[in-house]
Amino acid sequence: MANGARTIAKRNVAHWLAALMRRAEVIAPVAAHGGDVAFAPIASPEQVLFEFGNTLHPPKQFVLPQTDPLAVIRRNGNGVEIEPVHDDRPRVIFNVRSCDARSLAFLYRMHASDLPDGSYLARAGNVTLVSLACTVPCELGFCTCCDAGPFLKEGTDLQLTDLGEHLLAEPGSDKGFALLSEAGDLFRPARPEETGLRIELEERAKRLFGEETCHFASAMRRISTGRVAEKLWEAMSDWCVECGGCNFVCPTCYCFSIKDMRQDGSWVRCRTWDSCQYQAFTLEASGHNPRERRADRIKRRFFHKVSAQYYLRDGTVGCVGCGRCVRVCLGTTDMPAVVAAIREGAWNG
Amino acid sequence: MYVQASEGRPVGVAPSENHPVSRGKLCARGWNAHEAPAWGERLTKPLVRRGGRLEPTSWENALELARASLTTLLEGGKSVGVLGSARATNEENYLAARLARGALQTGNLDSCLRATYQPFMAGIAVVADGRAPAGTLADVEASGCILVLEGDLASNHPQAAHAVIKAIKAGAKLITVGCARTQLARLAALHLPTLPGERAVLVASLIAAATRESAGALEPSLPGLEALRASVAALTAGDQLRQAVTWLRQADRASILVAPEGGPPERVAREGTAIATLAAVTGHLGRPGSALLPLPARGNLRGACEMGVAPDLLPGMAPLNDASAVARVARAWGRAPALATGLPAEAMVGTVNGLVVVAEDLSAVLPAGQHALEALAETECLVVLDAFVTPTTRAAHIVLPIASFAESEGTTTNLEGRVQRVRPAALPPGDARPGWQVLAELSAVLGLPRSYRSADDILREIAKVVPAYDGVSERVMDEAWGTFASPLPADREPTLQPIATDRVLFALPAVLALDGVFDWGSDPLVSFSPTLCRDHVSRRKLYPSGLVQMNKADADGIGVRQGWPVRLISAHGEAVLPVVLRGELEPGVMLVPYAFRELVTGVLGGRSEAPVRAEKVQ
Amino acid sequence: MDDLFLPRVARIALVRDETPDTKTFGFRFRDPADQRDFRFLPGQFLELSVFGFGEAPFCFASSPTRPELVEVTVRRTGQLTDALHALGPGEEVGVRGPCGNGFDLPSAQGKDLLFIGGGIGLPPLRGLIWNVLDERERFGRVTILYGAKTPTDLVYRDELREWAARGDVELLVTVDRADNGWDGNVGMVPTLFDKTELRPKTTLAYVCGPPVMIKFVVQDLLMRGFGEDAIISTLERMMQCGVGKCNHCAIGHRYVCRDGPVFTFRQIKELVE
Repeated sequence: MANGARTIAKRNVAHWLAALMRRAEVIAPVAAHGGDVAFAPIASPEQVLFEFGNTLHPPKQFVLPQTDPLAVIRRNGNGVEIEPVHDDRPRVIFNVRSCDARSLAFLYRMHASDLPDGSYLARAGNVTLVSLACTVPCELGFCTCCDAGPFLKEGTDLQLTDLGEHLLAEPGSDKGFALLSEAGDLFRPARPEETGLRIELEERAKRLFGEETCHFASAMRRISTGRVAEKLWEAMSDWCVECGGCNFVCPTCYCFSIKDMRQDGSWVRCRTWDSCQYQAFTLEASGHNPRERRADRIKRRFFHKVSAQYYLRDGTVGCVGCGRCVRVCLGTTDMPAVVAAIREGAWNG
Repeated sequence: MYVQASEGRPVGVAPSENHPVSRGKLCARGWNAHEAPAWGERLTKPLVRRGGRLEPTSWENALELARASLTTLLEGGKSVGVLGSARATNEENYLAARLARGALQTGNLDSCLRATYQPFMAGIAVVADGRAPAGTLADVEASGCILVLEGDLASNHPQAAHAVIKAIKAGAKLITVGCARTQLARLAALHLPTLPGERAVLVASLIAAATRESAGALEPSLPGLEALRASVAALTAGDQLRQAVTWLRQADRASILVAPEGGPPERVAREGTAIATLAAVTGHLGRPGSALLPLPARGNLRGACEMGVAPDLLPGMAPLNDASAVARVARAWGRAPALATGLPAEAMVGTVNGLVVVAEDLSAVLPAGQHALEALAETECLVVLDAFVTPTTRAAHIVLPIASFAESEGTTTNLEGRVQRVRPAALPPGDARPGWQVLAELSAVLGLPRSYRSADDILREIAKVVPAYDGVSERVMDEAWGTFASPLPADREPTLQPIATDRVLFALPAVLALDGVFDWGSDPLVSFSPTLCRDHVSRRKLYPSGLVQMNKADADGIGVRQGWPVRLISAHGEAVLPVVLRGELEPGVMLVPYAFRELVTGVLGGRSEAPVRAEKVQ
Repeated sequence: MDDLFLPRVARIALVRDETPDTKTFGFRFRDPADQRDFRFLPGQFLELSVFGFGEAPFCFASSPTRPELVEVTVRRTGQLTDALHALGPGEEVGVRGPCGNGFDLPSAQGKDLLFIGGGIGLPPLRGLIWNVLDERERFGRVTILYGAKTPTDLVYRDELREWAARGDVELLVTVDRADNGWDGNVGMVPTLFDKTELRPKTTLAYVCGPPVMIKFVVQDLLMRGFGEDAIISTLERMMQCGVGKCNHCAIGHRYVCRDGPVFTFRQIKELVE
């Protein structure tokens, strides 16, 4: 993290949030129904949670909505008119965990590279990330295995660390510096004992995570050189129920389809979330389907996430170790389980 | 789960991590549940048929026309009927029952899927002394032994499949029974193959194995045991069956899941009785932690049944001659309910002169399929309430637009008997109204007024009429995740009955049956979801004349390959269908997906399975 | 920033029946600036919006050397193509593109060119063929082998006659099954190989058609000594965005809409499914 760390007393955080709310839509983890926690736009600073296990639904929906209108198509006297839908509303996503901050940077890169997706970049470019470093491991996470936590060195605009009575804020970008300077006197420069505590908290968090549990490197070698037996994927396919949940909660998944929705006499062309685990994902108009078998689809998913070919293209493995796929799977084919199976060459359900 | 909305329209879903059943997981339909209400063809205005076409009109006109038409029919001594739905809330189903037995004074009341579920419950109740099926998916997940009478559980009941998969991973022994080695069967410790229609016989054989033991005496000795033992004495029970029974007995907690299979209600009931008997003789009936769960084909089927949507039951599933039930209903409705036993759903269509259909596409759901639509042409007054345009709404005389599930307030009851709230996440489009409101208004114009200000009002009334739902309204409002309706079973012993063991003898080399009792592809939740409908659309396009599945050995035996046409000949008729190879099928079993059932009505001759001969078409 | 998903409006200027279920459509962009600025290479494809029915990818069937009309040849296979076939001149569609990599024409200069098309596989080659014929002097021999199931399934019949009449092109046509009026070759496309002189060392072979046909043709060419880099084909996959974002057309880490749809046989072999 760059220099310029500042500290805010917790009793001033509500003021800070109120100021943020005046100039942007602030999205933060809030209490939902029955003990659930979810990211949602806040109506008041008091809603923001600072102590929470990560949300099950990732914050990617705020840069990539499940139904994302791209253009409105209308017929009028002149013929067809196509009006792009642009969303460049300023947003602050507050208290994202390190893994999710990494994922949002990943998604940005995916949409900015090769042919830049202007619609996505307009929305995501106006998002400021204020991440909250994790001082204790979450139940299912394994971010240390993919360099996505518990603390970040880069990839977030402002990293907050809970020091007890205060929050330490480390700017990681121009946007982060700007946030701090806008907040003025609410913050003061961090004292040496505070930055010292922050470093200690990171060391302690890493120790609490312990040994790596999800060994991507060796799985990557095997998957990239075709050394995973077909029957391993086939065995796994009986333990998958093809719900698509892994894709929908994965913060680095972004596959989509484009469909036109009828609306009040016109059409809205929308990008909609899709799952590579669904049989129809590669189904062609002729009826031919190169990935008709579930085993092929599972293989595809993990090739995209874990292969060297993609690692070289994207600069990172396609996983931030958030553990959501472990929680959401209706079967047992989550990332750590499959990576372990690839390494061992055996699947035990 | 949460449905997310933007500008009044559903745009996405999010799972609920703390939900006690789903625990943050959703099936494919759940993950895309927001699509149908937003992308589907919605009904937004009341419609009435004028000069052969449906035209928009006001609510007043539409309700008045419905009142006038139905009243004229009644006064002319003609018959009317009401169909509730597994797609509707408890409140809507309750009001459908009230419309039928209260306002219209008819016993012609049913839902299209009831026959796949309620007879099973009735069969269980025979042994279990009136107790409802009990247990939760959490019980299943914690069971040491699970018996699944399968369809394709992973496709049709993913949450149940999940519970089973987690149990297996924790070391449980799974026993599957069925005519296809589907996914779950491949994970099973033991798969017991059967022919279509023979599940009950296999269960009877398991009972024979269980009651034959001289060692391991059943304790305590249950009433009716001797007669039961005698009734199954002639059945053989080989090693596999004995092994299954041993596992069931030895497990501290053992659960039984039963997917619906087609067949006449009597057979379904017999199967329920057999299952409950098996649970009893292995020591698990009513045992806490051992679940016995028939699986509803869709959504709120259990709720619809418990609201009394059936030709021979009152709300609460009380028999029509249950005096205290009749009194409760009469008190709530301010009028005595009609106590006639009416026609079941399929018999109603084309027979009754006036029909009110709530949220169901008859051609999609009824076994008669397209023929149901054709039969509807005979109906003089067809009133359809739905959120979506379907072939049934297109055939109606009066269409009343109602809210979809994403826009509705009310409760539903899941397979466990858990009553949960549904809260609106979006607004019904156009002039569509909440379904409960429309049903209440319809009953009112037909002479049974009662103003309900909210779905909660209706739930409070349900609580007075259905003893098992007493107190639900308060609890369901307080508890985050709903509450159980059925009271926990009292500590009474089950009463055993003799088990019928007749077997259908198949004289011909193969048996043809329908695969499943429900076609998700034609349910609006799927057909109107761009993400979910693709497979089904593609299959209909590739197989416009249907298909029949058989395994490769059978196909080789006839000399046909994938895609080749095959003639199926039974005592009742014949049909030609292309072959699709399906390695999972037992030898001699040929299945036609439920979606293509109309193409084999002749061959099946009105039955759910038939012996056939298959030959190559030259 | 360019909006990747916005189609440009184009008007149908031409509709021609090719076979009972296939039509060729020619479009002109409604906005003259679009019409003027639009560039594409043969082998690329466009995403065609039929308003109200969605979008689908179709290869360019016309040549950039004849830019007055952008043409596609479309067979009826479903809702969208049914709706397209119901449209006539003057009606509007949407065009997004060009997408994909296109044929590498510059590197083909000076070489002999062999075009092998099967049925609905001729359209992607047609644009390339006209491009070559419009710059004929840059290339060596030009041989076109084309086959369809029956005579009624042959597309571009007028142009086939035109090509046959040219002295600088060798054209051989065949059908799997003849009808009464047919007096040409009968047999599948590989049967034409022995009716022409093939020069594997100096020839680039462009093969388009149904997967089964491509498989047999490529086997034959390899046996006859064609190099793996000298056999070029196009791949088809289910596509949605056409611009390398949605991941539907990914094969391994290659994207048919970006790294293709044109691939050499060597590249196809290296694709990891």
